[in-house]
Amino acid sequence: MIDNSKIFANIKSHRIKYKIILTIMAIILLILVCLNMTIGEKNYSLMEVIHTLLSSENNYIIMKLRLPRTLAGIFCGIAFAIAGNTFQTLLGNPLASPDIIGVSSGSTVAAVFCILFLNLNRGLVSFVAVLAGAVSALLIYKLASKDGYSTNRLILTGIGAQAFFSALINWMIKKASEYDVPTAMRWMSGNLNGITTDTLPLLIVIVLLALITMTYLSNSLQALELGENYATVLGVNVDVTRSLLILISVVLIAFATAISGPISSIAFLSGPIAGRLCSKNQINTIPAALTGAILVLAGDFIGQNLLPTRYPVGIITGILGAPYLVYLLIKQNKGGSI
Amino acid sequence: MNDNILKANDIVAGYGDNTIIDGINLKIPAHKISVILGSNGSGKSTMLKTFCRLLTPHSGSIALNDKSLQEMKNKDIAKSIGLLPQNSIAPEGITVAELVTRGRFPYRKFMCSLTTEDYAAVKEAMEAMKICDLADRSIDELSGGQRQRVFIALALAQQTDILFLDEPTTFLDIAYQIEILDLLKELNRKKKTTIVMVLHDINLSSKYADYIFAMKNGMLIKEGIPSDIITSQTIEEIYGLKSVVITDPVSCSPMIIPISSHDDLTNVS
Repeated sequence: MIDNSKIFANIKSHRIKYKIILTIMAIILLILVCLNMTIGEKNYSLMEVIHTLLSSENNYIIMKLRLPRTLAGIFCGIAFAIAGNTFQTLLGNPLASPDIIGVSSGSTVAAVFCILFLNLNRGLVSFVAVLAGAVSALLIYKLASKDGYSTNRLILTGIGAQAFFSALINWMIKKASEYDVPTAMRWMSGNLNGITTDTLPLLIVIVLLALITMTYLSNSLQALELGENYATVLGVNVDVTRSLLILISVVLIAFATAISGPISSIAFLSGPIAGRLCSKNQINTIPAALTGAILVLAGDFIGQNLLPTRYPVGIITGILGAPYLVYLLIKQNKGGSI
Repeated sequence: MNDNILKANDIVAGYGDNTIIDGINLKIPAHKISVILGSNGSGKSTMLKTFCRLLTPHSGSIALNDKSLQEMKNKDIAKSIGLLPQNSIAPEGITVAELVTRGRFPYRKFMCSLTTEDYAAVKEAMEAMKICDLADRSIDELSGGQRQRVFIALALAQQTDILFLDEPTTFLDIAYQIEILDLLKELNRKKKTTIVMVLHDINLSSKYADYIFAMKNGMLIKEGIPSDIITSQTIEEIYGLKSVVITDPVSCSPMIIPISSHDDLTNVS
């Protein structure tokens, strides 16, 4: 007879570690929120900020600039991170993040077109962006599975599509009137400037709904991680679950993109970072979401306050993502597959 | 222990328009070890996949206790039918105990952590496959034989009465092949688990099977106990191979000696 506690000691200790890491992440996020709310062109004390928030006092900088900016940072970060993590887990490859395989830029193309040429309002833009994201995901999948599907082919096709979409975006920005260019630059790399309060409630509601659904589906996602065959045998309705997960991810990407633009590398980095911090067996959605929010807020804080000129958050997070992409390519190249 | 009877009724199945299995009726003997034999492309893996719902039949149905699988809930089927697929992938860096735990999926409830029953089932599965000492090892660093035992344990943690295995001994050396098959036999004798395997090795099939299904060109051409199936006549029918059948001196099961075109047949009576 082998002692139960011995076999499962590690599983249990991993679970404790998981909770500790989640707590630490939440604390870091809270600290970043405080930093972003208090420090800037004009500094406030934490008490002043809390007092303003509670009394809804009419302080323009706190209520109209920093609060929307911080909230957008948190929720866009979460949205990108969950979407990325879900794609990566479903396809079993860290390169299969929607910002690498063209799904995000598919949304961006539609958003840029609607904003620059049709002057649509944000709600409509988000809707069109969701549609475009779904269509590009479908298109990339169809192209990749022409003579039998493989994840590697999907990734290569996706990278191609990504290049094509980026070119389209650049072209549209060149064509846009000069007056629109500052707004348009947001679409080159994500940016939290000029976010207004009215765009946020929808994003927050969608992110929260998505988080709940994802948590509900997280056991199925873990089963899908073992491959389609195992998932079927374990009792997952593979087609429905997978379509639902992809749809939610595309919706998240599209809504977040319509607000902040495509903040580079958040989708791509959050899942792997969270996975490395926690044990592999843990459900990665929540830690990935926290990682995403932390990355965006930290990136924005650095871009706004710590550098000689102000940089948009997407440039800072992009600097983080590039080396990781190179590392992954080299590592996976050694293994002989993409 | 209830008798879970699995039947295939008029199964026609294949990939796309390509029909591989053409009208198969069979009943899996409960609590026995069955082996599906057949040449490459005979449809034996397709049959296995159809039983495990990895492939939807073009027509016909798979029935568990006379109830079509299509009418049953996915999770209920998952509590009755388990599978070791031919190629198993594991998430990078996952440990053995963690992987086996995933076999508990059909029993898990939303937001609940693993229950005492879950832990007991996982432990039992790991003991049956003798992998308790590997619990904290990463899957990536295991040998082929160990890996295969871990994936069988994953299927066992699912606690199904019926277990399908698609070529469980491929890529393993002879000692590991015997080890795996012995463990499966032990499982069948102790827990009365119904086991259905696709095997390539005729002699191992004959040694371990209680019952054999012989397939050719998508049809079931013969079924029965090994001594009825493993005859030089049937082997020639299935594989188009001439052979001599002798009795295995150890297990007394029939054993085939394939005849090569270079063999000198003057000594053979």
